[in-house]
Amino acid sequence: MSGARLAVSTQKYLAIARASARRAFAERAVLAGRVVFLGVILFIFSRIWETVLARGALTVSGAGKAELIWYLAVTEWCVLSVPPVFLAIESDVRSGDIACRLVRPVSYVGAQLAEALGETALRLLVLGPTGAAIAFALAGGWPADPWGLLLAAPLGALASALAVLSTAAIGLSAFWIVDTSPIYWIWQKLAFVLGGLLLPLELYPDWLRALARFSPFPAMLWGPGRMAFGFAPGAALETLLELLAWSALVAAGLAWLANRARLRLTVNGG
Amino acid sequence: MARIVGTLRFLRALVAMNLRASLALRGAFWLQAAFMVLNNLVFFATWWLLFARYPEIGGWRLHDVLTLFGVVASGFGASAVFAGGVRDLARSIGEGELDSLLVQPKPVLLHAVASRTLASGWGDLATGVGMLWIAGALAPGMLGWTALAVATSGTVFTASGVIVQSLAFWIDGMETLARQIWEFTLTFSLYPRPLFTGEIAFLLYTLLPAGFVGFLPAELVRAPSVPLALAALAASLGWTLLALFVFGRGLRRYASGNRILP
Repeated sequence: MSGARLAVSTQKYLAIARASARRAFAERAVLAGRVVFLGVILFIFSRIWETVLARGALTVSGAGKAELIWYLAVTEWCVLSVPPVFLAIESDVRSGDIACRLVRPVSYVGAQLAEALGETALRLLVLGPTGAAIAFALAGGWPADPWGLLLAAPLGALASALAVLSTAAIGLSAFWIVDTSPIYWIWQKLAFVLGGLLLPLELYPDWLRALARFSPFPAMLWGPGRMAFGFAPGAALETLLELLAWSALVAAGLAWLANRARLRLTVNGG
Repeated sequence: MARIVGTLRFLRALVAMNLRASLALRGAFWLQAAFMVLNNLVFFATWWLLFARYPEIGGWRLHDVLTLFGVVASGFGASAVFAGGVRDLARSIGEGELDSLLVQPKPVLLHAVASRTLASGWGDLATGVGMLWIAGALAPGMLGWTALAVATSGTVFTASGVIVQSLAFWIDGMETLARQIWEFTLTFSLYPRPLFTGEIAFLLYTLLPAGFVGFLPAELVRAPSVPLALAALAASLGWTLLALFVFGRGLRRYASGNRILP
């Protein structure tokens, strides 16, 4: 592909992403709901940590209540910023609209990804500062070493992008099964548990922590989240490399699935 | 009396029809139900991990959370199976889908909520019953108390859903907000009661009735007593009457969507 064509192609997807972000911004109720949900979860877990730590229980590598709340703020920020792209794809496949969308001069999956990433970017921008404000209020300030949060921001954005790729792949499974939600539920809950959404992996038994490291989920959640425990460039670099590797792998899987889906559509009709 | 019997027969027919419709797509039904069980178990693993590290949270142990989760999952599952239409009530109101129900001789609300079922609800129900069994809440002497706890939990959850979704009669575009408020009730009901004090505890017995969906019914299973049973019954009756009142008032304001439905 020549440079000029690549630039035109990129501009098309950027335009889709921008339009999607504007639409998401207009849906204030959805955004407000996400912010309130983030606040509710942070509140509940601030109470849990307060109750547990009041008994003098051991915490994670010296991290106290404030660090654990900030950890949760980061992991939830990554999760809540991801729109349900699998439902959009499933809806297109079920209704047959996908046949109309395939004739457009953009890749169907590429356009879906651009839409989802545009919305993700908007949510990251809204939920980031509001989540930080809520965490600040509930934790009574910054974590002991707040500089790690600067590293959490880019890692969280990359983690959300990986989640978008993964959920788009789940959406493409609609070509083979009627309802993709059950697969999404399992993926989501595995991400929560193996990724350490609510509890840092340091609190897990050794065997489960070792098992989790074979999945992309620790890089998606625990990796950015543990930056709340302090400034750790080495750990951040490790997470960054893992996120890039998993993103490449999932993107390759997504391309393969998209190709298989297109063949299936050609054979069976829209 | 004859009217009540007729309505109950209608409800039974709706439930039977929904079940047949769900089972018509046998593969999808079992997939949704089985994956929901798996989904719930994986989610519960977080509690198992937390309690493995900290055996007690506010006086609650893993067994207590298992009971709470069992009651709420069973109540939520029953609500999804028998009143699956609550979830989309605000959308139905907003898009004028009640038109076709208004011309029929049976209660509009009952028809709107019970004419839809969610296959995943069977998975919730199965998870809840399994957890209650592990928690020992299905022993012969406990069965009555547990059934009452699950029934009141599901009733309050359904009624609170009807109330928030009915706000669509007054406010446009309530679909997302109504569902989120309803989900907050579920979220709060899955955490141990001692975590919440003061104004938050008050909120959880009023605006978001998580107390009546989770804490009170779970307490009824943990330490059965007649006063607790009466309180749970009173709560479910109160919320049901409030739901009927709010929906009834809203229905007077209902403006047809002027749509011809297939």
